Amino acid sequence: MYEAVYAHPDGESTASRVAVAAGRYGYDGVVVRGIDARPDFDRLRDELDVDIVDAVEIDAPDPEHASGAVGNYRPQRELVILRGGTNALNRFAVEQPRVDVLARPMAGRGNFNHVLAKAARDNGVRVEFDLDPVLRSDGGTRVQALSDLRKLRELVEYYDVPYVVSGGPHSHLELRAPRELAGLGEIIGFDREQILEGLREWGRLAERNRERMSESFIAPGVKRGRHEEDD
Amino acid sequence: MKHLPKHLRPRWRYLAVEIETWPDASLNRGTFQRELWYAAQNLFGDTGSADADLTVLGFDYDDCVAETIVRVRRGYVDEGRAALACIDTVGDDPVGVRVRGVSGTVRACSERYLHGRAGISEERDVVFENESRTAVVRNSLLDVSGPGGFTGATQLDFE
Repeated sequence: MYEAVYAHPDGESTASRVAVAAGRYGYDGVVVRGIDARPDFDRLRDELDVDIVDAVEIDAPDPEHASGAVGNYRPQRELVILRGGTNALNRFAVEQPRVDVLARPMAGRGNFNHVLAKAARDNGVRVEFDLDPVLRSDGGTRVQALSDLRKLRELVEYYDVPYVVSGGPHSHLELRAPRELAGLGEIIGFDREQILEGLREWGRLAERNRERMSESFIAPGVKRGRHEEDD
Repeated sequence: MKHLPKHLRPRWRYLAVEIETWPDASLNRGTFQRELWYAAQNLFGDTGSADADLTVLGFDYDDCVAETIVRVRRGYVDEGRAALACIDTVGDDPVGVRVRGVSGTVRACSERYLHGRAGISEERDVVFENESRTAVVRNSLLDVSGPGGFTGATQLDFE
């Protein structure tokens, strides 16, 4: 299972500190949602026994800026996450097969509907269930976030949209273990297994993209290698 | 009052909980208990909160790590985990909360999961982002103090 985290300077702890904590909490790896953070990934992977995924989180004001950023970062990074939060950005993200994850689509004034759900499914864009406001806010904000999550969940279940789950921690202290997130998920209407699947999905995505970025990959199902022996 | 016969007493589960903080935090059993009740009440309401009956038993805090046992009614362990996950601050201090394990008795809980010593901490001057800063070091973990609060790091960031 993987958790997608913000590392220093985007968050309060360095990537290595969050990764060490994640290892103790039972995660197999962390996805570093880099806005400005660019730790030395190769060295961290060598030194630590948890995997670290080099991801970018694109925080653009509108689809035009986002489009440029997606084109720039796609060849460089293992995972491309686009932060939603307005209808235009959500729409742009789900219509782009180059985007891996649409993060926090319901934040701010963003919304989601059946059209976006179908587009996300067809383009293989993962929609993120962001548990951050459930974990770290209360009162009206949290009620709003819970009802948004419910709407998103119903659409995701109905249209079988691929999804990921994250608590969006900004430091090693904000990290929560998979079983705690699963327990919380059950209270707010998810299945236990649904939450754990969402955490596993990060790992599967990273593995798929690494395979695609490797030199032997040409197209899905086609790769350069030794031909099979004829008898 | 005479205590209940054994078959009528409620059954409990005991969660071994680890709480991590920044070096300048101060917490105790009372403040943590209050946060736990708030968290449970905000999440399940009064009825669910009363059912889970979350109680903090022991509390052992030094060097940024607290170990405690939280008692929860049997069958409400997941609710207990969820409420604990929602504690993000105690007072004004941000905390990281993790359940190390669950046991049927206090004794088994503390013998199996607690008393993992955090290690001795010391202060050291380090260079972080080209500035000289003070850091609290514990094993290979460093909490670097700065103008905007602490930054978590490890030894790897200084090699």
